[in-house]
Amino acid sequence: MKNRPNLFTDYRKESSIFPNNTQKFWFAVLILVSCTFPFFLSSYWKLLVTTSLLTAIACWGLNIVSGLAGQINLAHGVFVGIGTYVSAIIGGVATSSVIGYELDMIIWLPLSGLAAAFVGILISPVSARLKGLNLGLVTLALVFIGSHFFSNLKFITGGAGLGRKAASLKFLGQDLEAGLQIGNVLLEKNDIIYYFSLFLCIVMGLGVKNLTRSKIGRAFSAIRDRDIAAEALGINLFKFKMYAFALASFYAGIAGSLLFTIAGGVEPGTFNLLYSIIFIAIVIIGGAGTVLGPLYGAFFFTTLPGIIQAVLHATGLSDTGFFLNAGEIERIVFGFFIIFFLIFEPRGLWGIWFRLRNYFKAWPFSY
Amino acid sequence: MSNVISFKDVSLNFGGVQALKNISFDIQENSLFAIIGPNGAGKTSILNCINGIYKPTNGSIEIFGEDTSNLEPDEIANAGVSRTFQNIELFENMTALDNILIGAHRHINYGPVQGLFFSKKARNEEEKARKISEDVIDFLEIEEYRYSYIISLPYGIQKRIELGRALAMQPKVILLDEPAAGMNNEETEDIARFILDIHEELGITVILIDHDMNMVMDIATEVVAMDFGEKLFQGLPEDAAKDQKVIDAYLGVSG
Ligand SMILES: Nc1ncnc2c1ncn2[C@@H]1O[C@H](COP(=O)(O)OP(=O)(O)OP(=O)(O)O)[C@@H](O)[C@H]1O
Ligand SMILES: [Mg+2]
Repeated sequence: MKNRPNLFTDYRKESSIFPNNTQKFWFAVLILVSCTFPFFLSSYWKLLVTTSLLTAIACWGLNIVSGLAGQINLAHGVFVGIGTYVSAIIGGVATSSVIGYELDMIIWLPLSGLAAAFVGILISPVSARLKGLNLGLVTLALVFIGSHFFSNLKFITGGAGLGRKAASLKFLGQDLEAGLQIGNVLLEKNDIIYYFSLFLCIVMGLGVKNLTRSKIGRAFSAIRDRDIAAEALGINLFKFKMYAFALASFYAGIAGSLLFTIAGGVEPGTFNLLYSIIFIAIVIIGGAGTVLGPLYGAFFFTTLPGIIQAVLHATGLSDTGFFLNAGEIERIVFGFFIIFFLIFEPRGLWGIWFRLRNYFKAWPFSY
Repeated sequence: MSNVISFKDVSLNFGGVQALKNISFDIQENSLFAIIGPNGAGKTSILNCINGIYKPTNGSIEIFGEDTSNLEPDEIANAGVSRTFQNIELFENMTALDNILIGAHRHINYGPVQGLFFSKKARNEEEKARKISEDVIDFLEIEEYRYSYIISLPYGIQKRIELGRALAMQPKVILLDEPAAGMNNEETEDIARFILDIHEELGITVILIDHDMNMVMDIATEVVAMDFGEKLFQGLPEDAAKDQKVIDAYLGVSG
């Protein structure tokens, strides 16, 4: 037997999510702090943060198919829409114009993810045949097909310009539309949605992390970087592209099922091309292919209006009739960031965070 | 001894270019089968036909007695055929270890849902793959590069890691496309030693392409010489060196 001084056997520790206890600790602190948000955030900021959490879930989905597996998908917003309407049908209120069964969230939440995943599986064979821009064009067509269905299936969506109510909140038989009284604390409906979103965001974020340390994530990256070599290594391209689209759409569907319950209603025109493009922009700004990037990007994009408003307010510019309004500034800033990240920091906000962290790690006595 | 791979009258055309012209040969189990020939002779085309990246225009190829005309490259790989490429085809943005783990892909058995939850099954399967990879790392003596990103590694080491990725498949047959190209003498000797070990210790059938006659003469058990898509010679290495057609083909190139 050869002498094997470098033989390495502690595999398990190396592939764990948190390599050390410090990270575990801060993750726990972050979750605990997040749980207190509803008690001191204004309702406007609660809305922004909840939307950020759900947007992050949708962006993780896009990151799986585009960032990890390298398949262009311009139709991610359509899958969010599918999740929204499946939940609205199952969990929403019926009116004279739209159907709705007012069933429990425990039914519509997983089903909206699964329905979106099913449609993702249906279109995945296209990605096995087409690559790059051609695949982009087919998914572009999907956006228009989706828009057509969304605005014409009036008994589901209420029709263009009108819309319908989103799913109503009933969980395990408990009606949560009017909030929930626990002891002498009253949680409003939007607080409850916040907690659901937080929970899903944590679970599904860990899911992405798990994927990247699994055979599935490695196969995705292999297909993205060199599909011919991947195939020669025994990776079934057809099967793994299908997994990528299914997982991505599942994430989109779950996000979509809750996204519009906060505002209460949804108009089918929402799911247009721009809506899908924004997800791509968020993933690019956050850092495509990274685990935390989409989360950073989603928070950045979603809270940007709130931050700009706060800045305008603090500087007194909002009263003096500054020549740009908040919406215009928001679009300019966002556009600027997309260009900036595409050119200077392809790894997005995650890349900046990564560099900062390494900078502080190198700092003496940082531990 | 049984045939691992049989070419039966295989032709391969690209538009007007005939990359392979009516090639037939059998590769026996446990041989170290070398394919030599000048630039553009059709050597790489033979490997690409074996692992299904190219489909012959005419003729048929059998691997382990099975016709492969309807098999995809991944199916051929999963039958136990792995390879390296002439121009290194590693995943540059990943570590050496991740590359080798991808090589072990076919030994890891769990689906996407288990991946999402990193279930106990997934954990155990990953551990199994890691053991396979560590054995390869140990075999090729590349411990110190385990966590290095491919981009940061020198060419010779990259070649070795690509060999490692192919070995992690635990193949029955390995196809090596110019494994010593661009290497200095010392590195070439290392590679020759590894190829011999793969052949003798691991008992893997090796199909080796090389320009360089010397290494082939030293280690091959059988040689096929190619020129302009035609098979010039098949036989023992020492006979190849004496064969007039082979000598002419090589002189034709250098002269
Ligand atoms: N994909 C392709 N498309 C068109 N022509 C090709 C293709 N692949 C190979 N050929 C042609 O087929 C012939 C044989 O090529 P091949 O790569 O098999 O040669 P080789 O013996 O490996 O040469 P080298 O020593 O340069 O690697 C060449 O003329 C080449 O130009
Ligand atoms: Mg070649």
